Amino acid sequence: MEKYEKLEKVGEGTYGKVYKAKDKTTGQLVALKKTRLEMDEEGIPPTALREISLLQMLSKSIYVVRLLCVEHVDKNGKPMLYLVFEYLDTDLKKFIDSHRKGPNPGPLPTQVIQSFLYQLCKGVAHCHSHGVLHRDLKPQNLLVDKQKGILKIADLGLGRAFTIPLKSYTHEIVTLWYRAPEVLLGATHYSTGVDMWSVGCIFAEMVRRQALFPGDSELQQLLHIFRLLGTPTEEQWPGVSCLRDWHEFPQWKPQNMARAVPTLDPDGVDLLSKMLQYDPAGRISAKAAMDHPYFDSLDKSQF
Amino acid sequence: MEFDLEDPLTGVAAAAWEDEEEKGEVGLCPADSAAALFAAEPDHVCAAGKLGEDAALRRDAVAALLQAQVGCSVDPFVVYLATNYVDRFLSREAIPGDKPWIARLLAISCLSLACKMKKVDFSIADFQAEEGFIYDGQTIRRMELLVLRALNWRMRSITPFSFLRFFLALFRPADPPLLAALKSRASEIVFRSQNGETNQQNSSLFASVIETLSRSLIAEIKLLGCKPSAVAASALLTASHELFPVQFPTFRDAISLCSYLNKEELWECSVTMGELAAMDGCDGALAASSCCDTPVTVLRRYHHRNCSSSESESTAFAGGATAAADRDLKKRRIGGVTGEYCSVFLRPPADKI
Repeated sequence: MEKYEKLEKVGEGTYGKVYKAKDKTTGQLVALKKTRLEMDEEGIPPTALREISLLQMLSKSIYVVRLLCVEHVDKNGKPMLYLVFEYLDTDLKKFIDSHRKGPNPGPLPTQVIQSFLYQLCKGVAHCHSHGVLHRDLKPQNLLVDKQKGILKIADLGLGRAFTIPLKSYTHEIVTLWYRAPEVLLGATHYSTGVDMWSVGCIFAEMVRRQALFPGDSELQQLLHIFRLLGTPTEEQWPGVSCLRDWHEFPQWKPQNMARAVPTLDPDGVDLLSKMLQYDPAGRISAKAAMDHPYFDSLDKSQF
Repeated sequence: MEFDLEDPLTGVAAAAWEDEEEKGEVGLCPADSAAALFAAEPDHVCAAGKLGEDAALRRDAVAALLQAQVGCSVDPFVVYLATNYVDRFLSREAIPGDKPWIARLLAISCLSLACKMKKVDFSIADFQAEEGFIYDGQTIRRMELLVLRALNWRMRSITPFSFLRFFLALFRPADPPLLAALKSRASEIVFRSQNGETNQQNSSLFASVIETLSRSLIAEIKLLGCKPSAVAASALLTASHELFPVQFPTFRDAISLCSYLNKEELWECSVTMGELAAMDGCDGALAASSCCDTPVTVLRRYHHRNCSSSESESTAFAGGATAAADRDLKKRRIGGVTGEYCSVFLRPPADKI
């Protein structure tokens, strides 16, 4: 670890502190993520080994933040692992914030939204095609290179070794805003649709510059969703009333989606509504989303 | 969740949240999967030159791993994966010559990592007790980390097994029992190409065999430096030549047309695999106290090579053959793929003619 000079703490990731650091020999900026994984008698824990090697494989895509290497330090005779990632100067949350309250606020340019959403779908399709769900997609986890206009998925693939927590280790509440209704309703089996729901929420947030469903508890989160999309019915979503946390909810009628995203063109509204389908089986896949007419005006050859 | 050598690019990390059928929807489509495999392959190739320098150390490590397979009934795929880690480690790291003990430590650490990747329970303590060497936990942990660092945590090895399914799809007729037989024989050849040398150690008393051994060692190291896809294709071609000679030419042509493969590399890999098979044949002939390259054996090989098609066909139906006849047949079968068989096997690239 002497190789790196810690510059500043850039965040409290869900799984631990994240530092911006500099490689002393090359000058390259990196993001250091300390994991709380400790070696035990058996050496490197098997789940961590499998997760990190999976991450290593997935980070070959340019739409996934690259894992540069894994470092270990001895702390009181116990090796601690640090994951060393490429460093990007900002994330999508900060990027959206800067358009909301920066010196010259204004909407995100349509081409930027299109391009970021396309790259996000491409990254998600990459993960899904390798059998990996992200399960915690949110603007803070999407890193942005403003100069190059590139968006990359971060905080990926560590679901198993680190288990998805309700509270991060700093007791900061993990955001529920991007969580799919089936997860909120306690489904035990869920699939790629959970990520596509998050992609839909992130899409709407880029357009609105504020979150689509800003709930502060699991129930409030569901009610936010129901108020816009209507309370789900068995016809719309077969099996919904059998989910573990299903109750009799207030009955709302679906609102016009376009009113939630007034500046979005009709193709965009159509794509968004396909991402926010209640029935996970009917939700659009990342790969299919990439072929949606919304992206017809985008020059895909650059990706 | 565990790592599957035949499907290295699909992490089934989501398995606990998904039904089996849902998992199927998630996986790579075959075309994407092939492209991704061939693209990722270069990160997993060994440096044959570097392995040649550490040949003695490698031999000791591989012997210890094979011991685990035999003595502790460790799954052959786990041992294969561990050996792959050993080879990739030796390809990248300089080992000081004065540390012969490092071979066993390396073997244990790689075996431990392979078991974790394959989600196999394995007691290092039992293995050490069996083998009569004891490294403490901390030493093994440190060695594990050294291996992980050298391999840059690329533990989802891309090996010849990863390509078998892709090339098997080119075989006609696509008859499940034929494909299963072909895959099984090709897998044997792939296993053999990684660790075969040690199988011959018991006969190393014979001077001629020692010479054969060193030649087989060279061939083996050369094979380890081949791309996994080329090894897979060569193994399947060899298997097809033995088992289904009638279908072989079509299969050979289909594989030759595969745009991902470099023809020259494939040809060289096939030649090397042929040499290795030829030496195996020698080893068999040795039991009958004959020397490897007498005119007789050469002639016999030549003869059998030319007749192998019809003979192998009859093999398939020779249900009631006696044990002796079986042995003879086996010998001839090996003979069938020896010597200059590569010229039947694949046409050399133009500049080699």
